[in-house]
Amino acid sequence: MSGSAVSLKNKSYELRKRVLDMCVKAGTGHVTSSLSSVDIMVALYYGGILKYDPENPQWSGRDRFILSKGQASPLLYAVLADTGFFDISELDRFAQPDGMFGVHLQWDVPGVELTSGSLGHGLGVAAGIALGALMDKDLFMVFTLLGDGECYEGSIWESAMFAAHNKLNNLVAIVDRNYLCVTDFTENIIALEPMEDKWRACGWNVKRVNGHSIKDIVEALAYVRCRRSHKPLVLIADTVKGEGIECLTNNPIWHGQAPKGKDAEMARVCLLTRQGDE
Amino acid sequence: MNNIAQRDSFWNKIYEIAAADRDVVLISADMGAPSLDKFRKDLPAQFVNAGIAEQNAVLIGAGLALKGKKVYLYAIAPFITLRCLEQIRVECSIMTIPMTIAGVGAGMSYEDSGPTHHVLEDIAIMRSMPNITIHNITDSVMAGAVAGMSYNIKNTTYVRIDRQVFPDIYAPDTDFTAGASVVKTGKDCYLVSTGCMTHTALQLARRLEERNIHTGVIDIYTFPINEELLIDALRGVKKIVSLEEHFLAGGLGSALGEIIIDNDLPVKLRRLGIGHDKGFCYKYGGREIIREYYGLDKGSLERKVEEFLKD
Repeated sequence: MSGSAVSLKNKSYELRKRVLDMCVKAGTGHVTSSLSSVDIMVALYYGGILKYDPENPQWSGRDRFILSKGQASPLLYAVLADTGFFDISELDRFAQPDGMFGVHLQWDVPGVELTSGSLGHGLGVAAGIALGALMDKDLFMVFTLLGDGECYEGSIWESAMFAAHNKLNNLVAIVDRNYLCVTDFTENIIALEPMEDKWRACGWNVKRVNGHSIKDIVEALAYVRCRRSHKPLVLIADTVKGEGIECLTNNPIWHGQAPKGKDAEMARVCLLTRQGDE
Repeated sequence: MNNIAQRDSFWNKIYEIAAADRDVVLISADMGAPSLDKFRKDLPAQFVNAGIAEQNAVLIGAGLALKGKKVYLYAIAPFITLRCLEQIRVECSIMTIPMTIAGVGAGMSYEDSGPTHHVLEDIAIMRSMPNITIHNITDSVMAGAVAGMSYNIKNTTYVRIDRQVFPDIYAPDTDFTAGASVVKTGKDCYLVSTGCMTHTALQLARRLEERNIHTGVIDIYTFPINEELLIDALRGVKKIVSLEEHFLAGGLGSALGEIIIDNDLPVKLRRLGIGHDKGFCYKYGGREIIREYYGLDKGSLERKVEEFLKD
């Protein structure tokens, strides 16, 4: 790996550790939903994809990043603190009485564009911003990160058709395809596959990537500002729910809760072991 | 008297505003009107058809508003409030993103279209959420004025438009910022009404007047209700009757009851509207037939008001 690739991988580890620490301390938070998105977020925020200015969160030329799967808020808060949108000590107050944010995403936190927690909203709002940007001939891009379970919401497909029909090629959706919902695997609940076909049928350009390969994600988005297509782009990023902490992976029981006591210790050990292996 | 539809009065004014400001964007959930055809033809870059997809219409509107646009949504009233209620709750009420939601078909004004198109819950539901203002339109003068006011809103506004063309009761250039008007003064009793029922209330008051029952009418066209104005208007009044083409649960009468209780007002209230016992109905042949079924026809209302005054 190149030096920058190593530092991005380290960043992933650091963010996973922060998410785990925040949620264990708070005794709440969606740890596993955050972990599946870590490498996607590292690619966006540290891999040179997103344009943002922590000194000026409302900078009009910023790319808009809309975390639609608002349950991954601990991850976005960790990223925003780490990149300087607010003091890192705020993470210690996650879901605490004196803290400024909690389990689901809150729009008034610096660097956050949209309240989320209720699913199926982010893509439509992102499409609205993207449409407004085209009307005003603004050059910024709009990115949104969706959960795969969120794609059960009908509004996602209303927005998907709208975005393609209106040629919103300044809009990028990333689906965190971790295959797991609250109670079961998506393919056992109601099959979401073939997911690529669904997006393509709605009129989108579709790429499928390994959602834990920062390099692949960065490459897939590297020329996103100068695509010749009029279509919006969706990246279906195959991931593992709980990635990085093996004892929390692929088990629905860990949806929406933080490990406590011995489970928390075990999670820390798993994370360290994984880091040691790499 | 004016024979213009509330809808056309509203959109004609929005057209004027939009022609002068390209940041004004109209999102239609596939709803048309002659006044909208003009908008669409002359200002195509500011017109978005979201299709029959109200949830997405609100989300697109929220995105455009976040980008700095002044957003107007248009669809049939029950669909643009209830189908996308959760989007309105998150984006408009929680996040306080401002937009103007114009719903056509207040109460039973879709007449023979049946209960899917009647809207009898929207005032209760929309007024239950913070950061949302409701304008229940009484006549075309008000529709145009509310359109003008909507240009500078800070919070989301729901404009409830009737399909029926009523004679105007307000003079041109009336100021509607107060949210309620005493449209007829009275002594023995006040009818407090909203939307189309204000026209009924005025007819009723005149008939009662003929029998020396001095009845006033207060038109409540904005929710939350201007409490100060109402309390002031009801000083010395012992009995009021609320009139609404809406379910009694949570509507105008409920809102008046809340004000009476919260302020210990020494006034007796009788609520006239639609009870859940009657529920939804499949009745055809026009609005009056439906009103008869619900006991909201003029004869029934007059009888109920008289009984109340005798108590």
